[in-house]
Amino acid sequence: MPRAFRIAVVLITALLILGPVGLVVYQSFLSGPFFQPNSTLTTQAYEFVLFEEEDFREAFVNSAIIAVGMTAIAVPLGCMMAFLLVRTDLPGKRFIEPLVLVPMFVSSVVLAFGFVVALGPVGLVSLWVKSFTGSIPWYLYSKTSLILIAGLTHVPHVFLYASSALRSLGSDVEEAARSAGAGPLRVAMTVSLPMIMPSILYASVLVFFLGFELFGLPLVLGDPERILVLATYLYKLTNKLGTPSYDLMAVVVVSIIFVTLPLVYTQRKLLAAASRYVAVKGKASAQRPLAIGAWRWPALGLIVAWLGVTVVIPVTALVLRSFLASWGEGVGIWENLTTAHFRELMDYPNLVRGIVNTLLIATVGGALSVGFYALVNLALHRWRSRWTAVLDYLVLVPRAMPGLIAGLAMFWLFLFTPVLQPFRQTLFSLWLAYTLVWLAYGMRLVSASLLQIGPELEEAGRVSGARPAQVSRDITLPLIKAGLIGSWVLIFVTFVREYSTGVYLLSPGTEVIGSLLVSLWGTGAVDLVTALSTVNLALILVGLGLMFALGNKRHA
Amino acid sequence: MNKRLALSLALSILGFVAPAQAQTPVPPGYPAGYAELIEAANKEGALSIYSTADAAEVSELLTQFRALYPKLKVEYADQNSTELYSRYVAEAAAGATADLIWSSAMDLQIKLVNDGYAMTYASPEKSALPEWAKWKDQAYGTTAEPIVFAYNKRLVPEAEVPRSHADFAKLLAAQPDALKGKVTSYDPERSGVGFLYITQDVQISPSTTWDTVKAMGKANAKFYTSTGAMIERVVSGEHTLAYNMIGSYVLQRNRKDPNLSFVLPKDYTQVMSRIAFVSAKAKHPASAKLFLDFILSKAGQVELARHAMTSVRDDLQETHGIRSLPGATEVTLKPIRVGPELLAYLDQITRLRFLKQWQRALAAN
Repeated sequence: MPRAFRIAVVLITALLILGPVGLVVYQSFLSGPFFQPNSTLTTQAYEFVLFEEEDFREAFVNSAIIAVGMTAIAVPLGCMMAFLLVRTDLPGKRFIEPLVLVPMFVSSVVLAFGFVVALGPVGLVSLWVKSFTGSIPWYLYSKTSLILIAGLTHVPHVFLYASSALRSLGSDVEEAARSAGAGPLRVAMTVSLPMIMPSILYASVLVFFLGFELFGLPLVLGDPERILVLATYLYKLTNKLGTPSYDLMAVVVVSIIFVTLPLVYTQRKLLAAASRYVAVKGKASAQRPLAIGAWRWPALGLIVAWLGVTVVIPVTALVLRSFLASWGEGVGIWENLTTAHFRELMDYPNLVRGIVNTLLIATVGGALSVGFYALVNLALHRWRSRWTAVLDYLVLVPRAMPGLIAGLAMFWLFLFTPVLQPFRQTLFSLWLAYTLVWLAYGMRLVSASLLQIGPELEEAGRVSGARPAQVSRDITLPLIKAGLIGSWVLIFVTFVREYSTGVYLLSPGTEVIGSLLVSLWGTGAVDLVTALSTVNLALILVGLGLMFALGNKRHA
Repeated sequence: MNKRLALSLALSILGFVAPAQAQTPVPPGYPAGYAELIEAANKEGALSIYSTADAAEVSELLTQFRALYPKLKVEYADQNSTELYSRYVAEAAAGATADLIWSSAMDLQIKLVNDGYAMTYASPEKSALPEWAKWKDQAYGTTAEPIVFAYNKRLVPEAEVPRSHADFAKLLAAQPDALKGKVTSYDPERSGVGFLYITQDVQISPSTTWDTVKAMGKANAKFYTSTGAMIERVVSGEHTLAYNMIGSYVLQRNRKDPNLSFVLPKDYTQVMSRIAFVSAKAKHPASAKLFLDFILSKAGQVELARHAMTSVRDDLQETHGIRSLPGATEVTLKPIRVGPELLAYLDQITRLRFLKQWQRALAAN
């Protein structure tokens, strides 16, 4: 790509990121809302949050513990599962693979509620276990359970990154290791997984961040024991002081931003020698599944166990709950079955519009976002310049803002920037906010596939006389097509379940399912929440089914 | 060609018929000048409402309003009370926002009115409202909903159900072990409404309230932020008894699932109200006034009561007000005044001090 074009793309992206982030940083130094003329410059918000708020310290420590624990669980499990499902002859893997993604596309508030229905103190599974053992051997609302569930439900995020990287890896290296006598576990640990280190590192950093700003799970599971994390602390802060204090919230966000910097620094150091990870080379190599022999059964057992705890139990409980008039200790299931909640849901105003908008923003919007992520990536691709370092740091920053604050900042931006004002009440504002918040995700997925392409392929193009833009279009892009489609699937499910970012940007006419769920949850209409989630789930399963069917046809 | 002709013909007929339609008549009992307000609203042609009431709960109300004033394009956006507040103050600063603000966060609404965000408008319905439900011809309480004890009918024996605040404290103090983890309420530290109701309790009956908080601490009560989570857990039996629940939500659920029942405490039952005001920055002030009058009118109140948002009007108390609920006849009602008193606890120091006191009482064992 021409240099001028690269710089333009970098500048536009930086502007997009720094707009909302800059606003939040500015707000953190004010005495009141930035849009009120009597607000003055001060550091009192910092003094209050950092030195006087015990709750902030507690929330920060909890978030850090959860982020670390969650990463420690999700990354190894996700990598192992990606290796097993992509590289080996595991039985039934075609059937299992789409199921692995299910926790990603159930809104985390709803998924957490599914855990309550199944494993809570009077949950369906809990009562069943209790009938044998006399007591329930776990407590769902403890910090340990929260970390465990957060870790298990974020396995798909790691899985997606690792599997897309593994897919474009030739099997020559693995076969070499096998014929030299290495067992399957050894192949995974010393050959396959190290080859995709960049993807794994990216995934780890992102999962760590998701842990840091985790909201839905602690909102529901941390509620009874009042376990505070940063995102729920923001709510508590508002309530403690009576009215929303944007200056204090902004300080919390700035403190999270400061956590991103050392992380990105470490990641850059670790990946400095990117050429070590080149896997797609000029020479074609076939991909054959690795035979793992007797290991197949324990491996399958591990995956099925994970699926059981993370997908089957909460989702079944959730779907079951949507068909129940009442539940709990001493309530039979059969006599309480009903379809009333779905009939009630059918009468819900704007339901169809919400579903259409959601599908629109997830499919078309998702594709546009992936296009944007690919463009930025191509602009940075094989460009030895300080600009790329700048963007490396910037990309993660929007994710440092909890969704609600990111949404609020975008709302302010659209409200107070005259050029943007006309777009505020359209789906565009929502799309831009989603794209920005999930920038780090999409970017990393695309760049992980880019890193694997050997430079000789592009150099060959240049040598045969292609202009830089032509090389990107005819060589690089086709080579990362699988990666792009993978990103699209990821972005699709992410946009479908996204909710907090959109809260302030929604207006009559641009409702999405996520927002309907939140407003229903707020008014206590749990019947409708579960019914809507069930419908939502069915929609996504159909969508994913179609995508997989299309994908399989293409490969055939 | 033919199709296009037919279409333009149809359009011109419609255009011809529309002005011939009778203007919405002035509601009976309203001043004659009201026709001008309707005229002005029709010229505005639109109305935007921000509300905390779920769209499904008011869809029939909106349909009726649209039928009455067919020329108004009504937009209704529901959101939670904090979001509504943030969105409204920012939009007001930017110059354009919703016309009617309708929220159950009574203290935040009064703060907005006090800060000058409301337009003064004497509704022709105001004489039908009790004194406590109106302030300065700006803020109007549009409902009168009881704050109740909710309980699981399956698991709590009828004889044990507390009928008054004192009973509640006594029951908890008497069986802290049997009720361990079984009692629930809003967390005043994390929930605005929870804070509002418990501070009202303290003003009405300080010693009983602090006894209750202490007993809750002893019984290891669980405190929540979300109404739905709490109701769901009482239904399932994870908890059995809930303190200070918003009556309308409990009532709605009770109609579908009789396992969830409720008590209006006899010594006093707090009454909360959804407060509405016309925005001072309204682009469509006349339309907003029409809507305010409509929700306060008999027709509007009856419709709200159908969705368990019981009526605030004096003349509907027996049929659609709290008095129409089972067990409400011998209850003393203590409405939360729609007025500047609500500002007291928005003061940060007062607020933090109260929360400290609450924590201490909770841990006092």
